[in-house]
Amino acid sequence: MLNFTIRRLNLLFFTLLMLSIVSFSLSYFFPGDALVNLSGEINADQQRTEQLVELYNMDKSVFHQYTAYIGQIFSGNFGISMSSQVPISDELHTFLPATIELCLAALFIALIFGVPLGFIAAIFHNKPLDKIILTFAMVGYSIPVFWFALILILLFSITLSWFPSSGQLNLLFEIEQVTGFKFIDILLSDSEYQAQALKDAFMHIVLPAIAVATAPMTIFIRLARTSMLDVLESNYIKAAKAKGLSQAHIIYHHGIRNSLVGIVRLIGLHFANLVTVAMIAEVIFNWQGAGSWLIESIFARDYTAIQGGLIALASFTFFINILADFLYAALNPLERHKKHGA
Amino acid sequence: MNLLDIKNLSIELTSHGENILAVDRVSLALKDGEIRGLVGESGSGKSILAQAIIGVLDDKWHVTADRFHWQGVDLLRLPLEERKQIITKDVAMIFQEPMSCLDPTNSIGEQIEEALDGSKFSGYFWQKAQQRKEAAAKLLHKVGIKQHDTCAKSYPHQLTNALCQRVMIAIALAKQPKLLIADEPTASMEATNQAQIFKLLESLNKLKNMSILLISHELEKISHWTDYLTVMYSGQFVEAGTTEQIFNTPFHPYTKALIASTPRASTNLIKKSLLHTLPGSIPSLQHLPIGCRLGPRCPNAQKKCVIAPQVESFQGHQVSCHFSHRKEY
Ligand code: SF4
Repeated sequence: MLNFTIRRLNLLFFTLLMLSIVSFSLSYFFPGDALVNLSGEINADQQRTEQLVELYNMDKSVFHQYTAYIGQIFSGNFGISMSSQVPISDELHTFLPATIELCLAALFIALIFGVPLGFIAAIFHNKPLDKIILTFAMVGYSIPVFWFALILILLFSITLSWFPSSGQLNLLFEIEQVTGFKFIDILLSDSEYQAQALKDAFMHIVLPAIAVATAPMTIFIRLARTSMLDVLESNYIKAAKAKGLSQAHIIYHHGIRNSLVGIVRLIGLHFANLVTVAMIAEVIFNWQGAGSWLIESIFARDYTAIQGGLIALASFTFFINILADFLYAALNPLERHKKHGA
Repeated sequence: MNLLDIKNLSIELTSHGENILAVDRVSLALKDGEIRGLVGESGSGKSILAQAIIGVLDDKWHVTADRFHWQGVDLLRLPLEERKQIITKDVAMIFQEPMSCLDPTNSIGEQIEEALDGSKFSGYFWQKAQQRKEAAAKLLHKVGIKQHDTCAKSYPHQLTNALCQRVMIAIALAKQPKLLIADEPTASMEATNQAQIFKLLESLNKLKNMSILLISHELEKISHWTDYLTVMYSGQFVEAGTTEQIFNTPFHPYTKALIASTPRASTNLIKKSLLHTLPGSIPSLQHLPIGCRLGPRCPNAQKKCVIAPQVESFQGHQVSCHFSHRKEY
């Protein structure tokens, strides 16, 4: 297990290293002055520029510049936004939690519906139910998220008015921002309308989360289905049948755990996909998250913000990946135990 | 009375709209307490037959039989669920590649315990759990594993193939079966381990009067342990009888060739002389000859062989061939 942990942490370290190098090199690849791109201070006077040169080691070699850049990032300084002149770290602190909230909610929905549906399809392999679920997965996978999001809004917020169409929380609730996670902030606040605020925040997240979750969910359906089919074909299921165990017992005790092992490993992989989908959905649902913020920054050619956003979102995705790997190891004894033989 | 009595069991495989007769009217009878070997090359349908008996084949395969009696009960008349219950209660099976037959994510202990009959334990659930644990440890002792604690806590990939097979036998013993089907139990094991597993099976047969159906492609290897032998070729019944009958007076051309092809210490072979074999190889399921499937390879084959021969019995020695070697002895 220690070995496994070290291997994962090693991987995390090197991916972050690569990521920081890419991000740093962007300041040279983007048009304009590298120092301005790094710091984001477009209107710096002579004196400030000298300070910045000092700070980022701009007068020294590229390697020194890079180490200075890393140092700045670790002390929480991502520079300031070129367009709004607000520190990027502040903006990230405002916007990133909202994205994390949305992504986790979507991942949760995708898993909680996708995996069991896939299992059901596998258990009723080649029966009508299997075909129905597969068709549903195919359709869900093919629908583009921007169109689906608009349809959801049209149906559920305009026609039926069950859910609000945009935003994260009704402005009536005055919730102080502490962590940036709306749900945690509400719980932390001492507002007398706490319960209503929670409900409202929940209503707001439903539609965007569904829109984001649909495509990954269909992937999970198919993953779970193939994984379960493989397991059900395996020798130990045959042996379990020969033991005289009931079908339900076999699926519950042997099928689910073994097929989950196969799926968990891939969750991390598909999470990157989910984050991309979330960025588009954020724009449509006017969700004040890092995704829509990043897209706006791209439009505004706010290079400093693009760099910061890149680092933040990518680290978040890596983090989830590593987490999925640990979950995988926890489920799979093959990863945990050494052979001790005869 | 026969423990198991099967007559003309056929198994059809449906794939891509085609029906292939993988096993063609094979009969098999087993008495209480006997060890019967079921021999055939790979592809002769012996594993499929065994899986059909215990009922773990999936829906691709269609099993039909003229008679399927278990301890005198006609299983064909019973509904599927009841049939399964009877069979899995009294028949256990161990497979080849034992490691792949154990769930990799469950510990050995859990897998043994779930095979135990829950109604045998009494008391509160924690007492039951304790009893289960003890019963599992006892089973591990029975198959010669002394460090039951370490073993029960292990996962299958931590054990060797031979140990996994012992665990499989322990699981099979949990139900105290009357018949144990062993499908190539020692494939890909070292010779010493093979002998140990066979000895274990033999002692279980002697001590518990448990019948064993031993499936193998190596006639020579299992003949030492078996009382009776049944030989199959390409899904068809070839010959059955006591081990002595088969070895000393093989009636069927196939069995004869099979025995002639196994070199023995007693026979004087000239250096570098060819071993006696039949020409050709076993036909694939897609290209089965009509009639007697040995036809194209058989030295005795004549026109009549395009019609599948009927099984004839001579003092318990059954053979299925139009031109057998019976008269030569
Ligand atoms: S029936 Fe004919 S082909 Fe078949 S084994 Fe006998 S002699 Fe050979």
